[in-house]
Amino acid sequence: MEWIVPKLVSEILKWVLLVWLAVVILAAFLYVQPAKGFIGESSRIVFFHVPMAWVAVLAFLVSCVTSVMYLRRRDPRDDIRASVSAGLGLLFAVLATTTGAVFAKIMWGAYWNWDPRQTSITILLLIYAAYFALRGAIDDPERRASLAAVYAILAFVTVPFLVFVVPRIYWSLHPDTIINTRGANEFDSRYTQVLMASLVGFTCLYVWLYTIGCRIEEIRQRRRQEVL
Amino acid sequence: MADGIRISFSDVAKRYDLRVVFRSVSGEAVPGEVLVITGPNGSGKSTLLSILCGLLRPTRGEVTYQRDGRIVERDAWRHYLGVVAPAMAVYEELDAMENLRFFARVRGMGPFEERCRECLDLVGLDPGRRTLVRGYSTGMAQRLKIAQAVLHDPPLLLLDEPGSNLDPAGKDWLEDYVGGLRAAGKTVVLATNDRREMEWGASHVALAG
Amino acid sequence: MWRWLAEAMAVTAKDLRTEFRTRVAINSLGLFALTVLAAVSYTVGPYRIAAEDRPFLLAVLLWIVIFFAALAGLDRSFVKEEESHTAPLLRLAASPSAVWFGKLVFNLLVIYMLMAILVPLYCILMGYTILMVWEFVLILALGGYALAVITTIVAAIIARALTRGALFSVLSLPLLLPLMIFLIQGTAGVAEGSPEIVSSTVRAVLSMGGIMTIVSAALFPVVWSD
Repeated sequence: MEWIVPKLVSEILKWVLLVWLAVVILAAFLYVQPAKGFIGESSRIVFFHVPMAWVAVLAFLVSCVTSVMYLRRRDPRDDIRASVSAGLGLLFAVLATTTGAVFAKIMWGAYWNWDPRQTSITILLLIYAAYFALRGAIDDPERRASLAAVYAILAFVTVPFLVFVVPRIYWSLHPDTIINTRGANEFDSRYTQVLMASLVGFTCLYVWLYTIGCRIEEIRQRRRQEVL
Repeated sequence: MADGIRISFSDVAKRYDLRVVFRSVSGEAVPGEVLVITGPNGSGKSTLLSILCGLLRPTRGEVTYQRDGRIVERDAWRHYLGVVAPAMAVYEELDAMENLRFFARVRGMGPFEERCRECLDLVGLDPGRRTLVRGYSTGMAQRLKIAQAVLHDPPLLLLDEPGSNLDPAGKDWLEDYVGGLRAAGKTVVLATNDRREMEWGASHVALAG
Repeated sequence: MWRWLAEAMAVTAKDLRTEFRTRVAINSLGLFALTVLAAVSYTVGPYRIAAEDRPFLLAVLLWIVIFFAALAGLDRSFVKEEESHTAPLLRLAASPSAVWFGKLVFNLLVIYMLMAILVPLYCILMGYTILMVWEFVLILALGGYALAVITTIVAAIIARALTRGALFSVLSLPLLLPLMIFLIQGTAGVAEGSPEIVSSTVRAVLSMGGIMTIVSAALFPVVWSD
């Protein structure tokens, strides 16, 4: 893998990431007061839920971009990148859905009410599941790579409709309309700090897992090639 | 021959997830020549033929088509190619003429009615017969496949066990026909286990299996 | 260009002819749609839903029947080619875009035929009053087109996989869900007679159909020829 950082530096960065995330978790519970407009301590979930949802979408974006690259260059490593990223995306999508459901239960009394954001994350989950179902159903490696790439691109094209158009039409329970559409923050500055820090931390976590995953998969593929 | 196709393949290998079909195969066929590919059952003759048609991508290696010394792009191969193979069927719910008319139309051939009749006569089928291919004997279906392969007069023919299912008269006819193709400057690649068919070409590629 | 169109139409004609002689897709779609319609009509009927809920709920049921009928039969044109082993010769004879367009038109005709029979029957049996009829036809036409485009490319993808049946639904649904949501809303809109919903639906479905057309036309050769 062309992760060109020398070994010592990557070791150090790993520990930095660990410390960073530990600090974020502590801060989420100790440093910040619960925000207004949220029931009880539930606003703390946001520090984890939002970054997870963000990573789920980021992973999907990476998967789609590497799929396009695969179709252009036919480099098997691009296919590895696409499937590893999709795997991580699936993981984070599941996490985001669960944390979201817990939040929904506290705030509105039901784990699931199909508001547009919940619908969108469900569709994202369905897309990931379909992607892996497709991969599992093809035994020719080159064909598997190209068909999976095509599906990733097709799915990606539907996402803007989900994310932008559907919520505009439906009335939404989701509080991110509070964050996005109103100019002034409903939250105090500490809250924003921890949220930003958490976003950064989770993104780095994704990058780290992604790099490792790609390396493992590449080695696995190389072993198989040696049989040939 | 100026218009002929030269096909060459080097270090071609094919692997699926759990099995390796073949490791490294190379060969070449030029106009006026028959290249014979032999090998025991399961050695990958049909797989190799699919790769040579462009229907399958090899795990490794290259297949090149050349015409007049210039390379032909993979997307264009099908214009120069006629294929007969056990794994490739014609449409059962259509009759012989309907099948050929469809293939002619979809290839964008000019006036094709005459040509379709000609091809059916050539292989010994009756153009007027309205029976759906579903009701054909295997020998008749094989003849129709041959007709379909030569319909657009391609310079390169890939034949996978073309004599299978043919009666002795049919096999004699096929031997003469392939000889005629060679004389006319066509390039022929023949995959077979039949001892008689193996004699039709001088150059051989053997798959280990 | 006209030659390309003629080639595509040859594919459509061939599919229509073989379908007519075997009637498999028509049977699976038709039977599914009529059975579900009968079940819904019997259990729900024209009286059971309160007047203010009718535009929306009846729209939901209608599109569920249409979409699931589509999923029952629209993969046929590609899967059959692979199962009868006629796909290789088709690949060698036809240009990929002619195959794509030819089969798209075939699927479109099947959907429109289904709608032509199903929708009037549904409206009669369920007592569904539509206030804006022409707009309704427009939504059906555009929705049917978008449905055809998406199912055509997905059918092409799954035809080359091992476990085709379930895979077609699994892969299509995430892509179809947004479309279905728009169409349900739009249909509820025409039933009530509210033009703003209708125009936003038309815009959404049109753009979705348009984008999917471009993307699937670009990607189809990869799916078909690989």
